[in-house]
Amino acid sequence: MGLHSYFGGTTIQTLKMAAVPAYSRVIFRPISRTLVALDSFPRHSPRPPFPMLARALSTAAAVQTTTPSTESMGTATVAKPQWKAAIDFKWIRDNREAVAENIRKRNSKASLELVLELYEKMLAVQKEVERLRGERNAVANKMKGKLEPSERQKFIEAGKNLKEALTSLEEDLVKLSDELQLEAQSIPNMTHPDVPIGGEDSSAVRKMVGSPREFSFPMKDHLQLGKELDLFDFDAAAEVSGSKFYYLKNEAVLLEMALVNWTLSQVMQKGFTPLITPEIVRSSIVEKCGFQPRGDNTQVYSIEGSDQCLIGTAEIPVGGIHMDSILAESSLPLKYAAFSHCFRTEAGAAGLATRGLYRVHQFSKVEMFVLCRPEESDAYHEELITIEEDLFSSLGLHYKTLDMASEDLGAPAYRKFDVEAWMPGLGRYGEISSASNCTDYQSRRLGIRYRPAELAASTNPKKGGKSNLAPTKFVHTLNATACAIPRMIICILENNQQEDGSVIIPEPLRPFMGGMELILPKHTGKLTG
Amino acid sequence: MMKGKLEPSERLKFIEKVLNHSASGKNLKEALASFEEDLVKLSDELQQEAQSIPNMTHPDVPIGGEDSSAVRKKVGSPREFSFSVKDHLQLGKELDLFDFDAAAEVSGSKFYYLKNEAVLLEMALVNWTLSQVMQKGFTPLITPEIVRSSIVEKCGFQPRGDNTQAYSIEGSDQCLIGTAEIPVGGVHMDSILAETVLPLKYAAFSHCFRTEAGAAGLATRGLYRVHQFSKVEMFVLCRPDESDTYHEELITIEEDLFSSLGLHYKTLDMASEDLGAPAYRKFDVEAWMPGLGRYGEISSASNCTDYQSRRLGIRYRPAELAASTNPKKGGKGNLAPTKFVHTLNATACAVPRMMICLLENNQQEDGSVIIPEPLRPFMGGMEVILPKHHTG
Repeated sequence: MGLHSYFGGTTIQTLKMAAVPAYSRVIFRPISRTLVALDSFPRHSPRPPFPMLARALSTAAAVQTTTPSTESMGTATVAKPQWKAAIDFKWIRDNREAVAENIRKRNSKASLELVLELYEKMLAVQKEVERLRGERNAVANKMKGKLEPSERQKFIEAGKNLKEALTSLEEDLVKLSDELQLEAQSIPNMTHPDVPIGGEDSSAVRKMVGSPREFSFPMKDHLQLGKELDLFDFDAAAEVSGSKFYYLKNEAVLLEMALVNWTLSQVMQKGFTPLITPEIVRSSIVEKCGFQPRGDNTQVYSIEGSDQCLIGTAEIPVGGIHMDSILAESSLPLKYAAFSHCFRTEAGAAGLATRGLYRVHQFSKVEMFVLCRPEESDAYHEELITIEEDLFSSLGLHYKTLDMASEDLGAPAYRKFDVEAWMPGLGRYGEISSASNCTDYQSRRLGIRYRPAELAASTNPKKGGKSNLAPTKFVHTLNATACAIPRMIICILENNQQEDGSVIIPEPLRPFMGGMELILPKHTGKLTG
Repeated sequence: MMKGKLEPSERLKFIEKVLNHSASGKNLKEALASFEEDLVKLSDELQQEAQSIPNMTHPDVPIGGEDSSAVRKKVGSPREFSFSVKDHLQLGKELDLFDFDAAAEVSGSKFYYLKNEAVLLEMALVNWTLSQVMQKGFTPLITPEIVRSSIVEKCGFQPRGDNTQAYSIEGSDQCLIGTAEIPVGGVHMDSILAETVLPLKYAAFSHCFRTEAGAAGLATRGLYRVHQFSKVEMFVLCRPDESDTYHEELITIEEDLFSSLGLHYKTLDMASEDLGAPAYRKFDVEAWMPGLGRYGEISSASNCTDYQSRRLGIRYRPAELAASTNPKKGGKGNLAPTKFVHTLNATACAVPRMMICLLENNQQEDGSVIIPEPLRPFMGGMEVILPKHHTG
């Protein structure tokens, strides 16, 4: 078969690609011109086609490096994302109105237009890549048969052209895909329809328990109580570590241990698996949970000389346990209660309440974390907030539960309930816990899927198989603070103080403090003795 | 002639005459400045070199390397097993107590999650240990785990050396503590304590972070060598004449704790090459670990005499003359000159190694693990850790 029969109408039309976005057309024009030129050569022309082909290819190469980056992309070089979130671009495109409305509601900086544009471009390039691959396979097949040397030579050149074009297109595809990933990662989670719209003043009160205690004597704040009862040392810690660090002493140590022990035992009874977690994690895990470890006002401490950082919450290492896994549906829900120390830089917190234990760089926390099926996450969100409210009521706290407004959710949360407790020393309510339903925002980043049991259930949870297995879905994740020690200590000390300077220990904690009922001022013994 | 009574201006004239070769005031100033620069440089260099001089050594310390350490005490003997013994990793897997694999993905090797009864066991060990040492007069503390690196150095560690054990925080002069000894040592730094407050006895609970750089080839399996663990540490500040006594007290407390838990162990008087620069004398306790098939260190008690206090600046004012009521500022008048305190530190409980001991030594043929009696009240009365799919 002659050259002409291969480079038939179809191929040349393909290579002309009238429908393709501008930049890729630029790549192809020289090559198609070349191939047309080849096609017009008489079969036994003494002039070899190489020089023209070589020039055409070098032109294409030159075009490829400059045009795409200036025409199609905002930046000349695209940062390479270290990991990819399994974002459903098709869904975003098909629901663009809802996504745009959501971005407005949340006052987010995400650029939906750019994401959609990049997505369309990527789809187009993908299509071309597939088409070229088809052509290349056809050429390869032709080469398998018997050919005249000159015919074979032309096929080789055609194959080479296609290879060059493919390589350049594939590079573009990677760049597009990377940029799309980076832009799309900023798109916040969707929002529960009942979430109030607006800023922090729009948050709705779901529940109010108790009322502020009336004091018949001048009330002291936790810092003063701590000094008189010899419970903390902020001054020594400022020398040793810096501001917003502290030592706990004496009964405050017992109080922290009691709070952790009691909280863990309470939530274990509700079916939560207790965990103690690493406090150093790879920074990619932090990102996958929806935090920004390396931003300007980052809350995250980084470890020098490594890609690791300190956790700000056990949500992070717990989220990482099942990353890149496929769970059996029967193992859901997974309910964890994780105890860890938490480290936060509190950068950008200047001017906010920073006194004493209210805002510190290191603290202990028991965190609840749930992985469940999508249809159950609303129910588990209710369960988590109920558990929190029961814990706080048991300790005798006066608090209110808020349904946080759309601008205050944070990117990962579909819905967020915060509990604020009355802190007499501050003279206002202070946040003591937060319960978020992150739906599939974190699981798409962490790669946590489950296999519905509908068809034959897979006995190997890690590898998907073909045949009778239902396609995997992303789990929903939720997290909720069971006990953040420093703020609980503030509440207990300030609310339970007595006129003589002693502090009553809440009943549920007494068994965990050897039966102790009161924290007494240290010098009363010496005065009477 | 300088020692006689001179008017200040006369004194100055005399100095000028002595130092001034070309009879010009400028030379004197320059000469002084140059000498003072030399003084600072010499002083700095002297400081740096001298800091490397290790503490003196107690006369009874055996001389030599690790093989020369002397056994002070031996309690119990290795348990005889009538069935094939499992190591703590295998027990942990069967009883669903740890997850090293997930932690390797999330954090890196030598990290781990504790799960289920292992969480309760850690809490019980910490709670019980704290309550035990509180009864012996130790003040409980929970400490910062991020400290300025200068504090780490003053305690005798090298935060920025090549094989440093210390994790540094990026963009700051801070690092993570490898032991609560560090933040506790810092509590009274640059202070003058009244003699009446001594001894100060602290029991500090903290998480500890260690890079374990340079630990390749050493036992690294499972919980034996990890980057993060919980520990209760005893720290004493006392008068110099009392530190030997408190060293004995600390090792006795440790031995009582380990005996109560039913461990088989030996106490070693560490040899001179194995002390570490700050320690005047060091007692290590090594417990029998059937899974390892040898003894493994579970605690260390060091008498650092004045090595740390000279670096941390911790002094006390003897009560001989009129006692100062202001512990922080020295005054003149009838006050005795200050002296440096002695500091001691001792591990009351390093959780992962205790866990290895308890799991491996207390395992039963059916795969369950007996919980030592003292810990049961702290675990809601639990007596045995049962295999999860236990049908009985």
